[in-house]
Amino acid sequence: MAAFEAFLDDGGIVEVDDDMPAEYRQAVFAFIEMHANSELMGGLTERDWIPRTPGLRHKMSVLAKTQDEIGHGHLLYMVAADMQIKTREEMLEDLFAGKSRFHNVFHYQAVTWGDQVAIAFLVDAAALASQQAVFKNCSYGPYRRILKRIISEEGFHMRLGEDRMMRIAQGTDTQKEIFQGALDRWFWPALQLFGPDSKPDDVLLRWHIKSERNEVLRDKWVQKFVPMLQSYGFTVPAPDLSYDEEAGKWDVGPIDWEPLKRTLAQGGPDSARRINEAKDNWERTRWVRDAMDRAAAVPA
Amino acid sequence: MTVDVTPAVREFLLAIADDKHLMGQQHAEWIGVTPFLEEDLAFCSIGQDELGHAALLYELLAGDDDAAIDSLAYDRGADEYRSCHLVELATDDWTVAFARHWLFDTADQHRWTLVSQSTVPELRDVAARVEREERFHRMHADNMLDVLLADATARDRFVTAVAALAPLTQGLFEPVPGEAEAVATGVAAGPFAAEWDAFVETIEARIGAVDWGSAPSQAQRTQRSNDWQALMARMREVIDLDLSATW
Repeated sequence: MAAFEAFLDDGGIVEVDDDMPAEYRQAVFAFIEMHANSELMGGLTERDWIPRTPGLRHKMSVLAKTQDEIGHGHLLYMVAADMQIKTREEMLEDLFAGKSRFHNVFHYQAVTWGDQVAIAFLVDAAALASQQAVFKNCSYGPYRRILKRIISEEGFHMRLGEDRMMRIAQGTDTQKEIFQGALDRWFWPALQLFGPDSKPDDVLLRWHIKSERNEVLRDKWVQKFVPMLQSYGFTVPAPDLSYDEEAGKWDVGPIDWEPLKRTLAQGGPDSARRINEAKDNWERTRWVRDAMDRAAAVPA
Repeated sequence: MTVDVTPAVREFLLAIADDKHLMGQQHAEWIGVTPFLEEDLAFCSIGQDELGHAALLYELLAGDDDAAIDSLAYDRGADEYRSCHLVELATDDWTVAFARHWLFDTADQHRWTLVSQSTVPELRDVAARVEREERFHRMHADNMLDVLLADATARDRFVTAVAALAPLTQGLFEPVPGEAEAVATGVAAGPFAAEWDAFVETIEARIGAVDWGSAPSQAQRTQRSNDWQALMARMREVIDLDLSATW
């Protein structure tokens, strides 16, 4: 392991067929599997509101965005499957059985159109910041190459969310009220997406999967979005929010990590519905996959 | 860019546009919940194309402004829409959704052929662009059909879904207000119903004889189906929150 870690510290890139310690293989696989699951479950979260999108061309844009998310999941499952720990089907079966994780934010339900905008604006920005930090110095080559594409597309998603948020900010009282409600629901989950402070011995940092500590990324997000939201006339739902004039920094106050922990145990507000609906769809369409498997088994 | 057409021909074009719009709307329901990820991506792409085709046609009638297009897409009274009942049908069964995709895109090829040499140049341009994309929709359906029809269980499911949709499918070919004038002025090369036999031949060559049943009562597409009200309520849910808002 020491030689492998020295290789990584020197900027070494690991490819799928290279020898790698089992611990590294497992850690990278778990990280990518969770990323893949999150892209898919994020798409399902957005799906709830796509048919209700106000506007024909607008609907095309949000469909394209969610198609990107599902496409990211598709690519990531392939990268993960190549590591030969689980097949794509096994990963999906585990996800729909509630056995594997996905990001906390997708354990919540989008209950208004404002939530859809908040997801694109706040959550995609948080996810993008995390992905950029991984891409910066990622030691696993296949993941790093896929992240390049994902990051470029996520940038468009965030800009779509920002554009829609700005329309609302310049819109009617009803629109502003709806978005403020969404902000009240999504601000903390988006912030919690970065996770608690990184542990000193975080192997993902040591093995150059992550390049930034969770608390550093979270703080950058806070410093960007708190003033931006306020400048558009919205109230940041943090009762203990304060500004340190000397440091020139915003502080959102104590963070309650219990909601994050509940989502990690599949106990979020919408975890059961989200997982059960996905499982139900998966089961109801199994006959198609079975037919395809049988067709593939027939010699050409 | 708008075209200068008579009110009657406008009705004819709205029938094509409304079918496209609602077909795209129905496909949009399937993102993330089709049988496998590649199909999610394909179905979503096809849905975007259908919405895009609708937008191109609405644009011919209303101009390039989003608000004008959306006014046509969302703000008409129920009796002013010209969609067929096939595309209004709600389903949570992917077999039905896929069968409808195949039937609709097969029929659509015939319809666009009728306007590909239209006397309206802008409509010809739209027809050419649509066909460039539609051929991939048909390839997608054909490739999936190769698998489904080769498997006894899957074939049964699929043929049953087509049989269930067969009566409504006839509504795609029903004459619409303005069609006679569109044909007389060369906007379309012929009535859509003239393509029915060729359409049936294409479908039955693939899956065998179909009992097409009785066509629904659409009153030249001025009458909406039972699923219409819920469909439009869903499409307008956000719009109706504040009619003065731009989202």
